[in-house]
Amino acid sequence: MAIVNMKKATIIALQDEKESLVKGFQAFGGLHVIGIEDIDDEELKNIPKDSAKEDATRYEGLLSQVKYSLDFLSKYDKAKKSMFAPRAIITESEHKEYLQNLNKVEEIYNQCKAINEKLAENRNMETKLNNTLVQLSPWSQLNVPLEEIGETSYTISLIGFVPSKSVPEFEENLSKSEAEHYFKLIEDNNESAFYFIVFYKQAEDIILDILKQFGWTKVNFTDLKGTASKNIKDIQEKLILQEKNKAELIEQAEALLFNNSYLEALFDVLTIEKDRKDVISNFIKTEKSFTIFAWVPETMVKELEESIKKITDSYLLTFEDPGEDEDFPVYLDNPKLVRPAEMITEQYSLPNPRTVDPNKIMAPFYIMFFGMMVSDAVYGIILAALTFFALKKFRLEGGAKKLIGLLCLGGVSTILWGALFGGWFGGLIQIKPLWFNPTDEPLMMLIFCLILGIIQLFIGMGMKAYVDIKNGRILDALFDQGLWYVFLIGLMLMIFNPAGKYLAIAGAVGLILTQGRDKKGIFSKLFSGILSLYDVTGFLGDVLSYSRLFALGLATGVIGTVINEMSLMLRGSFIGNIFMVIFLIFGHTFNIAINVLGAYVHSSRLQYVEFFGKFFDGDGTPYRPFKVNTKYIEQKN
Amino acid sequence: MDLNLMEIMGSNAGLYLAFMGSAIAAGLAGAGSAMGVGITGMAAGGVITEDPSKFGRTLVLQALPGTQGIYGLLIAFLIWSKVGVFGGFVDVTYEQGLMLLASGIPVGIVGFFSAIYQGKAAATGCSIVAKRPEETAKAMVYAAMVETYAVLSLLASFLMLNSINL
Repeated sequence: MAIVNMKKATIIALQDEKESLVKGFQAFGGLHVIGIEDIDDEELKNIPKDSAKEDATRYEGLLSQVKYSLDFLSKYDKAKKSMFAPRAIITESEHKEYLQNLNKVEEIYNQCKAINEKLAENRNMETKLNNTLVQLSPWSQLNVPLEEIGETSYTISLIGFVPSKSVPEFEENLSKSEAEHYFKLIEDNNESAFYFIVFYKQAEDIILDILKQFGWTKVNFTDLKGTASKNIKDIQEKLILQEKNKAELIEQAEALLFNNSYLEALFDVLTIEKDRKDVISNFIKTEKSFTIFAWVPETMVKELEESIKKITDSYLLTFEDPGEDEDFPVYLDNPKLVRPAEMITEQYSLPNPRTVDPNKIMAPFYIMFFGMMVSDAVYGIILAALTFFALKKFRLEGGAKKLIGLLCLGGVSTILWGALFGGWFGGLIQIKPLWFNPTDEPLMMLIFCLILGIIQLFIGMGMKAYVDIKNGRILDALFDQGLWYVFLIGLMLMIFNPAGKYLAIAGAVGLILTQGRDKKGIFSKLFSGILSLYDVTGFLGDVLSYSRLFALGLATGVIGTVINEMSLMLRGSFIGNIFMVIFLIFGHTFNIAINVLGAYVHSSRLQYVEFFGKFFDGDGTPYRPFKVNTKYIEQKN
Repeated sequence: MDLNLMEIMGSNAGLYLAFMGSAIAAGLAGAGSAMGVGITGMAAGGVITEDPSKFGRTLVLQALPGTQGIYGLLIAFLIWSKVGVFGGFVDVTYEQGLMLLASGIPVGIVGFFSAIYQGKAAATGCSIVAKRPEETAKAMVYAAMVETYAVLSLLASFLMLNSINL
């Protein structure tokens, strides 16, 4: 379907023109270069390979330095960069100039690194000082210099703390003891009580015993001289100095900010150069020529030849179709509306190049299910408007663009389903449903969901049949899918008309006879055939899984109602009204967020497990063309 | 001994039973979600210490086991509005009360267990986010597989509830 056919191109050209040709290939941007190690050819293995590994490694090293500097500087860049600012344009000659002035990178990098290291040192010091400050703070009232606490010839002095709740008992015990001593409560912060104690050496055992009994924790300040309050003052002064030092360092970093545009341009220039060198490493080299193998989308074949012709006349270009068992890279080409849904498939796995691209069929189901699960028209309007705005205003690329696009389509679908089911802001706005209200007629809604499920599952089986037929396995398609269709349709007809029985029996007999066809021996053939009928329970489970469409839609509606009713209880006074509005906004924002997340996850699940399970064959390699990859600049020739 | 609930609880028996049903629905499912979200939060916290930029992805995973609590509240709310908590209680017979009680049970019990296990699955998902952030969607699907049963129990509770006419 929409998997683009690829041709394998072999290009042979002259070594002398290698550089300009590589540049041309990159500008052409459609070659998926095949790595030498992936080519299975004994003869080729003996031909020497070209290598630009050294250059590539050098560029890689420089790139990491540029990236480090950019990351570091971005922390201090206060200027808000507008998301829609145009990119800087770099011409060919400027590109060369950048490459000749690479020594500046190292200089900037070293400066950034030095500042960053000093900042880290500053941070560590600050933490250390703050810790000491916390430890010192209870002792600010202690007049004894800290270095004098300890042993003298006859006495021992100690500082430490006990839990506050044991203070009275502790003091009483100390006072009662016969040992001569002095103690003073310095500070009590309701958690710990901090004490200074002096006693004679001969009383050490008695005092220490009492201390132990009350959970005494000894405090030690080595390296500190003078009273605690003096030390606290010192540290506070040091902290101010640290702060100053930090501000200076940040200033230094900010002074480097002017390099930003240079670094950004260089980042892209180096990426372009590195990509070129990486590609050259996949060339096969002879004395005068080089050879390259690459996949090209069928539609770009002519363009490739023209782009080479522009550069040189001496070349040899041949195209081959992919071999019987050769897997080519997968490139999906879908209409604009389907493209966002590619994201869902890509998250799962790219399809095998021999199968089908499910996106065109999956996308409408995904978007429909998403809408049914959110199912509130006002939420849909909000979601669609916000994402539409984001798509128009921001420069989004890749996955982010697809995700926002998908949410936008989901929003539109939500408006539609909300209107059909009469969901308008959780019932705050009373509008009659265009179709029916699922909460009033749950059974009808349930049946509707299951029918949607059956339709999608049948289409999934059809896709499997399509792949089989496409690859020449017509009998497989007929036996595996055709007979299942007959059997299942027969079973379903039985609900309405007993005549469906005959169709079901015919299908079942067919399945029993054919499903064991890979087995040897008549009995194991029959046995596998009968066993295969058991798969009908799997089908039933898959169908029932679609009931989540109803349940999640129900959740949105009822939670919306809960939010409304709770908010409306506040109505009345002026302040009450204000709170009501705040509550409504907050509640509905929450409801939108949680339900959009739920719809995204569960709609994905229905595709992955139920739909893809019927036919999907993954493990495709993504098509990664060799092209100009830029983040900050635009290239101009 | 012949126990008659109706005699013990008096004429309000139906209402009491309905309240029990809503308490089971909101209470059990909510407790499960609290545990599930907590379990995922612990794993997410570990990821964030390494790489704070993954906050968004892990937060999405953490939100997943939270839905059971919402489903439970939803059924509780429907029970309340049925018996008239928000404006004039209606008469609920003893049998109707039992039915209301029963309808709160599926979402309560399944919500409780599924939220815990979904929390565990999402916690493992956090390590996927840590090592291979590009595969976040797969981590979400694993967690969502567990939620299927919470959704089914919500449906079961709702259909039971919907069939009760007061």
